[in-house]
Amino acid sequence: MAYQLYRNTTLGNSLQESLDELIQSQQITPQLALQVLLQFDKAINTALAQRVRNRVNFRGSLNTYRFCDNVWTFVLNDVEFREVTELIKVDKVKIVACDGKNTGSSTTE
Amino acid sequence: MDCVNRVAKLYRSVIEDVIEGVRDLFAEEGVEEQVLKDLKQLWETKVLQSKATEDFFRNSVHSPLFTLQLPHSLHQTLQSSAASLVIPAGRTLPSFAAAELGTSNFSASFAFPGYPIHVPVGVTQQTASAHLYKVSVPFMVTQTSERASVLQHPVQQVFQLLGQPSIIQTSIPQLNPCSLQATTEKSLRMETLLQQPIVLPSETADRKHLENPTSDILVAPGNERKVISEAVLNQLVSSQYFSFPGVVFTPQASPADPTVEPVRRVSARMTQRLHGPLSTGPQGAPRQHVPEAQPRVLKNRMCGCGSVKQPGNTEEPSSLPVSEKDSSSRMDLSIQVADDDINEIIQIGGTGDTSSNDEIGNTRDVDENGLLGIIDAGDLKVPEEETGSVSNEDSSVNSSDNEDPEIDLVEEDPLNSGDDVSEQDVPDLFDMDNVIVCQYDKIHRSKDKWKFYLKDGVMCFGGRDYVFAKAVGDAEW
Repeated sequence: MAYQLYRNTTLGNSLQESLDELIQSQQITPQLALQVLLQFDKAINTALAQRVRNRVNFRGSLNTYRFCDNVWTFVLNDVEFREVTELIKVDKVKIVACDGKNTGSSTTE
Repeated sequence: MDCVNRVAKLYRSVIEDVIEGVRDLFAEEGVEEQVLKDLKQLWETKVLQSKATEDFFRNSVHSPLFTLQLPHSLHQTLQSSAASLVIPAGRTLPSFAAAELGTSNFSASFAFPGYPIHVPVGVTQQTASAHLYKVSVPFMVTQTSERASVLQHPVQQVFQLLGQPSIIQTSIPQLNPCSLQATTEKSLRMETLLQQPIVLPSETADRKHLENPTSDILVAPGNERKVISEAVLNQLVSSQYFSFPGVVFTPQASPADPTVEPVRRVSARMTQRLHGPLSTGPQGAPRQHVPEAQPRVLKNRMCGCGSVKQPGNTEEPSSLPVSEKDSSSRMDLSIQVADDDINEIIQIGGTGDTSSNDEIGNTRDVDENGLLGIIDAGDLKVPEEETGSVSNEDSSVNSSDNEDPEIDLVEEDPLNSGDDVSEQDVPDLFDMDNVIVCQYDKIHRSKDKWKFYLKDGVMCFGGRDYVFAKAVGDAEW
């Protein structure tokens, strides 16, 4: 079972909203919507693992850190993200990271 | 841009995989194929609207031709900088999904032919057919997202003027109810630039209006733009008040009385400038318009947006002096409060307000939905003085029961800021912030030096999405 972590992304949220609309109009059942989301979890996990190859470096100052239920949550300030092609600077960023070694458990963000 | 393409391709592939993966599920459930197509369409539309990938559908779908380039978040401060809104010439605007006010950063840009328009942050845009463009310009930095609807009507009419002089004549009075608030210099430029669409298309028609004493719309020939802009900029930099033809911009956070005066001065100067080339610069004629314009202007402020007020409304001028005399723009904002919902809020602190509120309240005849957003900040202030003090009272009672609650109210009011949520909690609670969702390979710490080894992540910075396979980072705590 893949992480449900990525449901709180642009792609995941838009899918959930779309499914909610269909549920509202009673075109699909909530059960079916859940199945769609599970399918999404698999697809996004697979896509990220297989179709993405770039590497990013970042540096900043750590504001807060939290480790609970094998999930790290960081808040960094004044962070610079460097990629080969571009540089991104943000004053504040939140990082939510699930255990990459163990994908058996599914957690939601 | 390569990153954007990469993200767009990834998202598209994920959508395709998901749709294909659930096709059998839909068939098993007996759901029609059309529903699946609808799901895909909805999903793709939402991803497109989110601007996570700007060129998500650039190749496959006819993307909107216009984007509104807006500066930073509207919520941050009242010192919002104006955005540049340029509408492309000669193009019929397709339906454009307006950026919501709630988003922290806007990245849409409109291009209008020859009419550079600066719009403050928080502008939601709707397109009409042909050359009519509806733009709501909420200059106010308040807590709600309804501001967009507040200023929608007047600005609609502003843009409806474009290219159609006849419309200008008829729709000018409708601009009066506008009550826009701007606080920055850039917003002033916005105002001048907004004038341009009105100016350019119909010079002759403008003159007619200039001669019309009842008209609040003072349009000058195109060559006066610079003069007007300079005058307005110079005036508004100091005053924060300026009057757009038929539209009054009043900053929220300027409670001083002088802010009221600049409205008149600005209007006067504008009228002077506008009348300059046409009437050889007489000072008397423009000023005649000023007193006429001002009451309407102030009237409109009071009436707020969303409700069309005729300039000749006799009931309103009586309340104008009162509003003018208000000691704070906050009070003016409260004047514009909607009736039912706002009254519910105001009632808490309404009785404690100054009398001017009561006097002006009688003249409230605004659309509830129109100014609901504007008055929020003002309204929140008033009840806080009551309710916030009550909460403080409770806490203070626990500590010292003998203290007089009334004294606490007086003493605690300025200290209510301590009740605010601490900044440390905000990053965790603020969902719209820059977020990275990923998996970690290893998290290492040595004293206060942290090292992050992350993988398979999706980053969202200001609405834009990025992805990475590996991410290595350092941070010092």
